Amino acid sequence: MAAVTNADVEVVDFDLDDDDLMDEDAGAEPALPPAPASRLRSTIAGDDAPRKTKGRGFRDDPNSSSAPRDSRFGDGGRADFDSLGSGGGGPAPIRSIEGWIVLVTGVHEEAQEDDLHNAFREFGQVRNLHLNLDRRTGFVKLVNNLRWKHIHKCWFLIYHFSVQGYALIEYENFEEAQAAIKELDGTELYSQIISVDWAFSSGPAKRRNGQKRYSIVFLYNFGFLVGK
Amino acid sequence: MATGGGGAGAGAGAGDGEFYLRYYVGHKGKFGHEFLEFEFRPDGKLRYANNSNYKNDTMIRKEVFVSPSVLREARRIIQESDIMKEDDSNWPEPDRIGRQELEIVMGNEHISFTTSKIGSLVDVQSSKDPEGLRIFYYLVQDLKCFVFSLINLHFKIKPIQS
Repeated sequence: MAAVTNADVEVVDFDLDDDDLMDEDAGAEPALPPAPASRLRSTIAGDDAPRKTKGRGFRDDPNSSSAPRDSRFGDGGRADFDSLGSGGGGPAPIRSIEGWIVLVTGVHEEAQEDDLHNAFREFGQVRNLHLNLDRRTGFVKLVNNLRWKHIHKCWFLIYHFSVQGYALIEYENFEEAQAAIKELDGTELYSQIISVDWAFSSGPAKRRNGQKRYSIVFLYNFGFLVGK
Repeated sequence: MATGGGGAGAGAGAGDGEFYLRYYVGHKGKFGHEFLEFEFRPDGKLRYANNSNYKNDTMIRKEVFVSPSVLREARRIIQESDIMKEDDSNWPEPDRIGRQELEIVMGNEHISFTTSKIGSLVDVQSSKDPEGLRIFYYLVQDLKCFVFSLINLHFKIKPIQS
């Protein structure tokens, strides 16, 4: 367990030759000076507690993809990205290309597409439905959900049916989606309470009162750039 | 062993506090730097980038603000995986086949894991830390599935597996 205890980056001897992805990449051969400082450092402004950090990403690794991250995501931020015009003002639901998307959470793992379809078509035609099942099936999941319980002097092995999934549902009209949210949020499906809400928003999430506002800043070593 | 955490699902633990998530998978080869990357920022901005030069494909970059409910669901998926308890020190190092990076800030924990591409569970089983790597492997699949659904429904594009 090589846990690093704070945001300062541990400089670890890292063998560049083992990882020479860059060498055969014609036209993108950065003269690799050994990266002098920390590759990745994160600062969460307003957080006084020391942050526990873990992983190779905190080591000095010039081959990491992270360094040119902003060139992949685009330097200019918003302008480089396609996004469906977000209006001004506070966050509000936003329309997707072909309709309005609703997120359903707390969906019982045994619920089928049909069950959701039946519940949601009451408010309008369901144009698309993605019910994503947890892939952590089999042994891992089984173990996670088995608990010993001591009931009446006996030990029982209980299987917890608390695993939840989610679904994304598309309606053509705002009113249909809004009605589904209003009527189905907090209702039961397979004896489990589901939450129904908009999936997309026109702007940054508003912080609740009394909560500190955090901002996350990642500083990278830009001594090395991939591509052009 | 997988104990603790409870079956509370999207309960208290998954609720408040700082949250940031970034996943990258990619390699550099015949078709240049091909990769897939996405991130959820604390303010709800979801960014997605996918680049392949195969058949002159161009870079796809998308971004959209997601609702707090979507962020909470991402958080729940991570919480239930127990990935924050793992460590990448015994995972395969990235190689010329490719690399994966998973960076998560949740509460006062910050992980930044790096490993090679994982082809299948066979690679997981033969590694030095099959239990930890399996958690990573499934979590990545769940996160990709979530992001692909969101991007696909919002923009009506089919994200390409990288």
